[in-house]
Amino acid sequence: SPTNKFLHCLLLVHSHNSTRHHDYCVLGAGPAGLQMGHFLSKSQRDYIILERNSGPGSFFNIYPRHRKLISINKIYTGRRNREFNLRHDWNSLLSDRPDLLLQRVSRELYPDADSFPRYLSMYVKELGLKVQYGVDIGKIRASETESPRGRGYILTDQRGLDYTCRVLLVSTGLWDPQKVQFEGSDLVEGYESIPVDPEEYKDQAVLILGKGNSAFETAQSILGRASRIHLYSPSPVRLAWQTHYVGDLRAVNNELLDTYQLKSLDGLVEGGLEDIAIVRNGEDEKKRSGRKKKCRSSGKEKRGKLFLTLSELLDSSDGKNSSKVTATNLPVYHNDNFSLRQPYDRVIRCLGFRFNFSIFDGSARPPSSEGARGRLPGVTAWYEGRGTPDLFVLGTAAHSRDYRSSAGGFVHGFRYTVRAVHRVLELRYHSNSWPSIKLSISQLQSWLLRRVNEASGPYQMFGVLGDIILLRGSHCEYLEEFPLQALPQFSSLSGHQLSKHGLLVLVLQYGLNRTDSLGPGRAESEWTRAWRSNFLHPVLYYYDKLPTERDMRHRPVGWPLPRPKAVHHMIEDFLTEWDGPISHSQPLRRFLEHCLHTDLRAFYAESCFRFSLTNRKPPLFCRQGYLRKHGVVRNRQLWQHAHEAGLMPGGQDSASPDTDPAFPDYLTRAGASVSSAINLDF
Amino acid sequence: MAWFICVVILLLCSKSELCTTGNASKLIEHTAAHFFEKMQSGKMYFIYFGKQVNPTIGLFIEQLEKSADVLEDYGISVAKVNCTNEHIAKYCTGEKLMKKVYLFRGGNVLKSFDTDTVFDVNAIVSHVLFTVLFDEVRYVHTIAELQSVERAAKGKADIVLGHVQVLGLPEHRALMETAFVYGVKYQFVLTTGGPVLTNMGVEDISSLTAGLWFLHCKGASQSQHSDSCPHTALRRALTTLHIYTFLQLMEAPLVSEASVEPSEVNMVHSHLQVPLLFLFSQPHTVALDRVTAQTLAWRLRGQVGLVLIHRESPDVKIPLEYNAAYRLPGEGSEVKYLILNNLEEVIDLFRDESTPEEEEDDDNWATLDVLDDEVAESVYRDRGQSLDMDAVTELTADTFHSAVAESDYTVVLFYVKWDAVSMAFMQSYIEVSESLEDADVSDVELAVLDCGEWTDVCSAQKIRSFPTVRLYRPQEPSQPYQGMLGTESLNRFIMLSRLVSPVLLSSPDEVTSFLEGDMYQRHAAIAPVTVLGLFSSTADAGVPVFKEAAKALRGETMVGLFADRQAEIWAVEYSVTLPAILVSRGPTGQTEAHSLNLSMPDQLVTHIQRALLDTFATVIDGGHSAHLMKVHMDQIQTLKTEIESLKAHQQKEKHYLRAEIQATADALVQSQAALMESRAVNDTVEEGEERDGVTIHARHTCELWNSTSDRQTQHTLPFKCLGSLKNVLVFERKAIFLCPFKMASN
Repeated sequence: SPTNKFLHCLLLVHSHNSTRHHDYCVLGAGPAGLQMGHFLSKSQRDYIILERNSGPGSFFNIYPRHRKLISINKIYTGRRNREFNLRHDWNSLLSDRPDLLLQRVSRELYPDADSFPRYLSMYVKELGLKVQYGVDIGKIRASETESPRGRGYILTDQRGLDYTCRVLLVSTGLWDPQKVQFEGSDLVEGYESIPVDPEEYKDQAVLILGKGNSAFETAQSILGRASRIHLYSPSPVRLAWQTHYVGDLRAVNNELLDTYQLKSLDGLVEGGLEDIAIVRNGEDEKKRSGRKKKCRSSGKEKRGKLFLTLSELLDSSDGKNSSKVTATNLPVYHNDNFSLRQPYDRVIRCLGFRFNFSIFDGSARPPSSEGARGRLPGVTAWYEGRGTPDLFVLGTAAHSRDYRSSAGGFVHGFRYTVRAVHRVLELRYHSNSWPSIKLSISQLQSWLLRRVNEASGPYQMFGVLGDIILLRGSHCEYLEEFPLQALPQFSSLSGHQLSKHGLLVLVLQYGLNRTDSLGPGRAESEWTRAWRSNFLHPVLYYYDKLPTERDMRHRPVGWPLPRPKAVHHMIEDFLTEWDGPISHSQPLRRFLEHCLHTDLRAFYAESCFRFSLTNRKPPLFCRQGYLRKHGVVRNRQLWQHAHEAGLMPGGQDSASPDTDPAFPDYLTRAGASVSSAINLDF
Repeated sequence: MAWFICVVILLLCSKSELCTTGNASKLIEHTAAHFFEKMQSGKMYFIYFGKQVNPTIGLFIEQLEKSADVLEDYGISVAKVNCTNEHIAKYCTGEKLMKKVYLFRGGNVLKSFDTDTVFDVNAIVSHVLFTVLFDEVRYVHTIAELQSVERAAKGKADIVLGHVQVLGLPEHRALMETAFVYGVKYQFVLTTGGPVLTNMGVEDISSLTAGLWFLHCKGASQSQHSDSCPHTALRRALTTLHIYTFLQLMEAPLVSEASVEPSEVNMVHSHLQVPLLFLFSQPHTVALDRVTAQTLAWRLRGQVGLVLIHRESPDVKIPLEYNAAYRLPGEGSEVKYLILNNLEEVIDLFRDESTPEEEEDDDNWATLDVLDDEVAESVYRDRGQSLDMDAVTELTADTFHSAVAESDYTVVLFYVKWDAVSMAFMQSYIEVSESLEDADVSDVELAVLDCGEWTDVCSAQKIRSFPTVRLYRPQEPSQPYQGMLGTESLNRFIMLSRLVSPVLLSSPDEVTSFLEGDMYQRHAAIAPVTVLGLFSSTADAGVPVFKEAAKALRGETMVGLFADRQAEIWAVEYSVTLPAILVSRGPTGQTEAHSLNLSMPDQLVTHIQRALLDTFATVIDGGHSAHLMKVHMDQIQTLKTEIESLKAHQQKEKHYLRAEIQATADALVQSQAALMESRAVNDTVEEGEERDGVTIHARHTCELWNSTSDRQTQHTLPFKCLGSLKNVLVFERKAIFLCPFKMASN
């Protein structure tokens, strides 16, 4: 029973009264908070997740109002690669358990919203995450005493209890409905409170403010009942499948586009929200006008209806008493074909949500973001609040970094940024460098192909998270999923130093040329024109030194990174399988050779033997393989093939002149500056 | 056509007698007396004074001989004076290597050249002619200079402006030869780049290596002070032939008129392999048509000849709908009729021919489409064949752990499909599996795991490179396979891994049997080398270390352990102190002994591995080493051919050559050092023929090397040929020893 639970909570609080200090406080047990909880728990940190409600993911108990999640839960991909499958699972959180996925709760492609909190409860339980429910933090302030470990934060809950934490991780999500103030905005219903039963809208004319997914979702649910649905907002509708941004209108919600364009009384209208006004007709009962007679419908029905008008019309006609609506107050009086001239039974606001800044004291409040209409907190490239050190923002609230461009505001995106933030925390507070893998240079190509073929982080967080390869001569360090915007601070955030050999960055990105997403010529298939790829494809950037903040600020519009020393686009692939020897592997190898100034081809043992005798330094592959007794011995069939291809140097009787191992001739073609500096040192 | 060739021949052979073929060189060798006598004759002489001949000078003299034939056409005799025999003051200096060539006229030196400047026929001819024509060919650099030449020439003569980026190249020669012939008719001007080219409308100055323009100054009136003469560019490569054709075209009238069928028109253009364009004119538009023809002719000058045909003539029977026609050069090529609406169309018509450049670009891409990695290409060529995976177990994340726990030995190949080396090795791997099956080896399971699909397993197993082969035994850490990626060595690894390591031997008889390979005959056949650890007692502190090391060497070689007082017998026999190891190379090979005093297993492993390396002579037995030497010799032969072909290219790339020869010679010496070494270690194997073969070849290599490199470069090499080979032996040893596979011939 609830009282029992409450008592239990009280007991818990009291028994832990003395230990309400934690290294990490995570605010909110939503997907981002739990995701961070998992990483903190895995690294055995002192943490607590504070949640005001009685279960995790309570946002999803209410939203989406019409109870259908639009994040894809694709459980059949034809593959068994877990990492790859996460590319098509937009709801599950990351963990080490192969089966801790949403598909255990729901098999639907678009699951029911209730399944998500259920999944999160399961996640908490199976991973044993420390969540304290029923703690409603109302005030957050920075600790005044500067301790040597940093300043810390003090959180006060509804009972006045304080929680102190060294690091505060804010994953409160977006709860405050976004509102716009205008004349008559009190007549508007909010998405958060509208009835969801379509019958309530029977034969009603509905005006919805907003053209996002919530607006369309609402429209779609009442499509069969409402008489007329108009969607009104400043900007035209953006289709997710055109913009590649999942926050734009998803096709799963867009039935109204059909009814609009197939002339079935619904429609979209663009116009500003600040200068409109909503007036109720019924308030002017005594008014007798010719309009009433003109209307074929009875005056009774017209009464109490809502009209959309412009605030300037109200001001000019009747400055003092705006409650009385006259004909001149309505746009149709001035413009007889004004689109929204007919009255509405309901006006519904579906303008999205904003971050709750109010719980933050001035000392701990991150500023409003520059983008996203100031609805989100402003954060650094590593998601620390601007001006609030040791306070990090996670989850949907951290979307200001990639607002309208990538997936950072959604579970399938922020589960990776949370991991990146955790890696930053590990270095900053525990001196654990960003995990890296040491690879021999001759293995780099295979490894890159492996990542582009399966990695889900760069795939979901395209243009935002990228793999960093630190070149170190004959080997390299491979770091996964680093926040690209933080590249200028790479060393201090990752704990890795750059060598003089420079670095490679592997990013997945869409083409920059906006093309007709379904039109002819939308896909590029010739690898030589890979740079014109439109669909998501891997791009490698090569820098000989770290880009500076200035470089980052002045990068070309739409680019995730500044202009590199060399760039390589891997041709977009219809199946997103980048493993073709001609179209994918070889161009990649040539690019790497160009950057590393060395030959990366593979050779059979016999070729290596010859090179060892005839060259001061045989190719890298021979040095790292053959000369360490690890060469590749041809079998008869392959040997035959290689011979027929004319690639084997000096057969028994003839040597083809163009098989100088040290200088593949396209290196010279790549430009004089390159060929003059073939690097044989590693 | 024939007529045309004749003209060219005449042009080149202005003093006809010289165009005889024959090997007799026109290069005269002068004595001192001869020299002074000739100096008085007033003729021009191009003379080289030399003493010693090194390869560079030798090549120069070769070129000088060739140029003698050419220069004689221009009335210049080429000669050389041997300063060792003759002494001519002033010219025969004291230096050993003389690098000056002089051009004399009537006893006076016109100019002296460095042999580096006049390095080949083209350079000699162009420089000599440039000097001779010094007064006639103007050299300009700035626009002002060119304009002053133009002003002077206006109304008098046309100008031929040539551009060469570098003097002494074939283009320069072609230009100079033309200037020699046409110098009287035209004013020749030479430039080597800069603002003058911009004036000629060249956009990218640096990319233009050579060019030629005809400046029509003769027709231009002198009053036009400011304007330059109109010019036409030669749009082809600068060769004597092209320049000649071009000048002929410039002489031809801009527009010819005719009143016959187009096929009957006979003009100089057809002989010069230039297309003709016909425009058809009617009486009432003839004035306008002439203007059109003129405009077109100016734009197409040098590329196309233009003929205006009067339609009203009764001989002309052209369908009325056509207003133009063209005829491409070549015997019997047809006249093609067209309707043209504007001038650009016409110009485009002829421009099409000059677009193959873009196609070349496409060709470049096409060559990039070819796989240039022999492993990738051979695997790619095999793509039609599907691998028969029945012989191996394909593991998954679900089956991996149970599979490696079940079998006594599970060999797992971790691979990714896009790695060509993985896929190449996969074939050998399957072959091994099949051969094990044939050999009834049942306790070994060969399995593969696709890391592209089962990524979790590979991450958990910390697979960092592809392909990776590991041997799993229940309850034991996995053992990486680090040998050659081929059937034979993998097979050997698997067979040896199945043996306990070390083999504990209990009696001297067992030891003998172990060392001679009788104990494990089946294994000895594939891996004859055995290592035996000798300890005086099982209590020896070194025994556990040795056991540890033996474990690590499992799969690599057979290791035995004999810890008993009787081990002293062997210690005495091989005069080492215990503990020690014996390395036996089977019944036919020798046995070596090494004392041990190492405390760490990994040190011991390295030590044993090094001891194994010394077994070169048996790893590659007599037959193999013979083959190895054959490979060396083939290699030397290849290098020799390479040097020869380099020599042939020398005219072109003189300056790069030296470095290349040196590199080649370097490689040669290295290869030879290896050869010498293989002989050294083979001393025990065979004597006689093979050995002689090596010696002969070694000497041959040195001769070859001596003849191709300068004395100077010889000194820069790290060692002398046949000299301190010892250093190289040590240095190169590694490469040779690590050749544990059979060579191609078998």
